[in-house]
Amino acid sequence: MSPRRVGLLPRGKTSGEGISDFLRGMLDRGYFDAALLPMRVPAGDSFAWVLLSGWAAQDRSLLSAAAPFAPVMPVQGAKSLSSITRQGKSTQRIVAVMRPCEWRAAVELSKLQQLDLANIFVITYDCPGVVPLSDWLADPSGAKQLWERALEDWQGEGMRPLCQICDRFSMVDQAGSPPDLHIGLLGRGDGRPLLLAGSRWGEELLEECEVAPEEEIKDWEEWVREATLRRREKRRKTFRELSSQVKGYDKLLQTFGKCINCHNCMRACPLCHCRQCYFESSALKLDPQNYIRRAERKGGLKLPPDTLLFHLGRMSHIALSCLSCGSCEDACPMSLPVGQVVSLVAQEAQELFDYSPGESMEAALPLVAYKEEELAWAEKPYLETYRAEGRS
Amino acid sequence: MKEEFTPRIIYFLCNWCGSGGSETAAAHHLYYPENVIISRVNCTGSLSTVQMLRPLIEGADGVVISGCHPGDCHYNDGNFRARRRVALVKSILSTLGLEPERIWFRYVAHSEGRRFVDTAVEFNDHIKKLGPNPLKSRRDT
Repeated sequence: MSPRRVGLLPRGKTSGEGISDFLRGMLDRGYFDAALLPMRVPAGDSFAWVLLSGWAAQDRSLLSAAAPFAPVMPVQGAKSLSSITRQGKSTQRIVAVMRPCEWRAAVELSKLQQLDLANIFVITYDCPGVVPLSDWLADPSGAKQLWERALEDWQGEGMRPLCQICDRFSMVDQAGSPPDLHIGLLGRGDGRPLLLAGSRWGEELLEECEVAPEEEIKDWEEWVREATLRRREKRRKTFRELSSQVKGYDKLLQTFGKCINCHNCMRACPLCHCRQCYFESSALKLDPQNYIRRAERKGGLKLPPDTLLFHLGRMSHIALSCLSCGSCEDACPMSLPVGQVVSLVAQEAQELFDYSPGESMEAALPLVAYKEEELAWAEKPYLETYRAEGRS
Repeated sequence: MKEEFTPRIIYFLCNWCGSGGSETAAAHHLYYPENVIISRVNCTGSLSTVQMLRPLIEGADGVVISGCHPGDCHYNDGNFRARRRVALVKSILSTLGLEPERIWFRYVAHSEGRRFVDTAVEFNDHIKKLGPNPLKSRRDT
């Protein structure tokens, strides 16, 4: 990302409060009609996405429940945005505060025509990761401490396994479609966070709000790049180990052996968008004879059936757009490493098609585009001279 | 004496070229192994990745797909799309160590009866060498 304009976030007690004040200012001035951001639920024990109307935001107590930087991700942000704009563009100007993986998921969903980004102003920020939901529920205060530490040392300890190896937690290398505004937190220490405008709209907003300009972003870029390299190394190592744990018929079936077919991973995934999921359709609900025959052939049939088909099929559906956000893994009641396995598969598949999901609005989805000359290895060449064994 | 392994093979043929090839083969009285089960689809581009995976989990030892040669697709680009999906499925299978070579993709034109039969025979021999597909006899799929 080469920012069009850079400013400093107005001062707040914490960066979270700073951004809340900034948002309130925007809403007060009528620059936006509504805000979409995670807010503390009334009971205080979790966070939920709320589309907050501008007039309501003037109520200070309401916006004080806002947690633009929530330590957990109960629902992936792109899913919330998609639920507003799936049927068409928003008629109000909405400012949304999202994590980088949520922004990238929104870009993918927009390419899949499940979301419309018109009139949506997206603010992203350097993300230290999120705490797994189960850890949060078991010990909220401990989890919050872990998250605060991650925000300081950027090591990701105690965060979701996929957050720990996330190498796309910032926007420095987002070449194609940066968000309207990105908040640079990394390496700012006690200094004020950077506001980097990625679009014309973002640039205008910074100008209009007379945000103090800042020239010096080299430090931030270097910090991010260094942390990215560390993460990338860790990612390679983790995937090498994971691969040795899941590769092969026995190991893969052992990995998914605990699966209870609840399909939560599919429901939590921001990218699974089919109105009728194949795996829940009548295509897989068959007459009794079919199951009896299959049991006969296999000697037994795990019920509900089609666990492996579901997982492999789901991988084939989302691997090319998977952002490694880890929502599926967080939603798994059996704590299967489902997100890590999908990410491993996704990484290889994305390399194959040289596609980086969420990176650019222009790059076509790999299964929609094609080239005439490519993937020759996937074809089996015909040998004119082939002679069947045992035949002349 | 040990019983010889007879694989179960699913051969997806597109409605235009692939199954045309099988008709030409029939007209010329060319024979292919009886354990190759033919399934006609409208276009190889209409085959989803799940349709390639499902037979492999539920009892087939191999899946082979044939459609029109590049540039000949009745729907212009179905075969190119199919090639991308085959590549995706093969990539997933190889990442997870599940024998991507159990899936073949080869173009067969309407007039190529010989090529259709040769593909069925060659794939049959190839799968015989590979042995039975472990997934088809697993209870925990």
